[in-house]
Amino acid sequence: MSEIRLEGVTKRYGTFAAADNVDLAVAQGELVTILGPSGSGKTTLLSLIAGLNKPTSGRIFIGGRDVTDAPAQERNIGLVFQSYALFPHMTVLENVLFPLGVRKIGRAEADRLARDALKLVRLDGLENRRPSQLSGGQQQRVALARAVVFTPDILLLDEPLGALDRKLREELQVELKQLQRSLGVTTLLVTHDQEEALSLSDRIMVLDKGRTQQVAAPTEAYLKPANRFVAEFLGIANFVGLPDGGQALVRPERIRLSGSGAGKPARVVEAIYLGQMVRYHLSLDGEGARPMVAAAPFVGPAYATGERVMVSWDAADLWPVAK
Amino acid sequence: MIGNTPWTQRLLTAAGFFGLAFLTVPLLIVIPMSFSSARALTFPPPGLSLRWYEAFFGDSRWMEAMATSASVAAISSVAALVLGGLAVYGLRRGNFIGRGPAEGNFMAPLIVPTIITAIALYLGLAKVGLLGSFLGLVVAHTILNVPLVIMVLGVAIREFDQRIEQVAWSLGASWTYTMRKVVLPNLAPSVFAAWIFAFIGSFDEVIVTSFIAGKYETVPKKMFNELILEVNPTITAVATLLIAFTVLALAAVAFILGRAGKLKQTLV
Repeated sequence: MSEIRLEGVTKRYGTFAAADNVDLAVAQGELVTILGPSGSGKTTLLSLIAGLNKPTSGRIFIGGRDVTDAPAQERNIGLVFQSYALFPHMTVLENVLFPLGVRKIGRAEADRLARDALKLVRLDGLENRRPSQLSGGQQQRVALARAVVFTPDILLLDEPLGALDRKLREELQVELKQLQRSLGVTTLLVTHDQEEALSLSDRIMVLDKGRTQQVAAPTEAYLKPANRFVAEFLGIANFVGLPDGGQALVRPERIRLSGSGAGKPARVVEAIYLGQMVRYHLSLDGEGARPMVAAAPFVGPAYATGERVMVSWDAADLWPVAK
Repeated sequence: MIGNTPWTQRLLTAAGFFGLAFLTVPLLIVIPMSFSSARALTFPPPGLSLRWYEAFFGDSRWMEAMATSASVAAISSVAALVLGGLAVYGLRRGNFIGRGPAEGNFMAPLIVPTIITAIALYLGLAKVGLLGSFLGLVVAHTILNVPLVIMVLGVAIREFDQRIEQVAWSLGASWTYTMRKVVLPNLAPSVFAAWIFAFIGSFDEVIVTSFIAGKYETVPKKMFNELILEVNPTITAVATLLIAFTVLALAAVAFILGRAGKLKQTLV
């Protein structure tokens, strides 16, 4: 159980920097998500921490120990990939026993630890199955059990739920969060899914083109993004002009609609019913082509496409963002 | 697409059968002739006997050639498997400058006309004093077999998710432990196929062997020499035995790869 610290970590391939001077400190027991689009360097960063790749410059510390030059074998890290990466020729139990065998833990003790880990991910009873006989969700649980059975110092998860369908993904998100909290293991999770990042993380690190854009708690990153990239990557972003000529972000759910009263007149271009919410695309009178998006819980009065509405928001819900 | 209409489909089938017949007719002639009772090579055989098999197994020079062929094939196929296996692992998993030329170099013996490889080996082995030696023969066959190993194992390694190895390392397993406990058990069917291909490749080889073997006789080299000296039906018996051996070995490969579900990937 340890904290992670990155100091000026850079990885270059020729002139291209996959990771560019990245600093990060993850506290003991914390779950931090590295969020970014594909090609942002998030997987590179994870592979540097795992020791599968060496940084061009910078230092990596796990539990205060400088592991920059240590091979993957000596880092005591639990690693989980999107593709599960189970050993196909071994049973579920043998997969989970693998790291214990490497560590020369006695047969009885190893067996007890492995069965406990499988119970933790609710796979007891499937010990003798082969990976090919399991569903995607079950395979990912095996990978998780294998990654935590030897009490690793830290846990690294690379798009762990990316290959699963939506419903299963949401279930496993909750399980993963509970498992991480009960083990108290410092965790770094890589994802391109902003919802996953918002729902799982203690803090989010947003990455673009190898550079850190912001490191913040989910609510802060969502409502007070450091720049326009973070604002747009974390969800739907409306930008409104400020009196000083600058721009400010206002999130869709902070926008109020009314049939009459104060506010700016607008026309509903599109009303999209999403179950829990209705999303309105609005065209403000006398303003640019880019429609404003509002989201409202589907309880009160609803507006139809083409209807005229009044749009307003609180000044407190505006967050200035550089252009 | 070809084969969409009944007409083109029939034409394609006919062409396929013709090609197959063209390839198998020699077998249909050689195999019956090996069981002939006649003194000379005649077809169809006037009567049946096993005398040419007796002549083969009773001839110490044939048996010696057989022993040479078998030992060269056994040693060179294993050497090619180890060296080619390590090379192709590096080629598939590594990321280094000059990977393309390196792969081209390993594959060259399969692509360059054999006669050129033969002359190169003749000159090269003469220079290091291995021409006409058993070791020289093993070295030459190893070089010839490496491309077969690279081809078969290259596909298998590419198909095997590298992240499985990376996870094993992260779990604390050394490179050799990962190789032994994770990679090789999963590649075993392809390793077996590569070894069989290399073994047959060596057992069948005649061009390079003729150039460099000196006093050593392998079975194909002796067959070739016998044909020039005198037309003796014994070689039809040898040919039949070689065909049987090759068919059985390839059947074993097909069976093992088929069971592992890898037949199509390796052959296509």
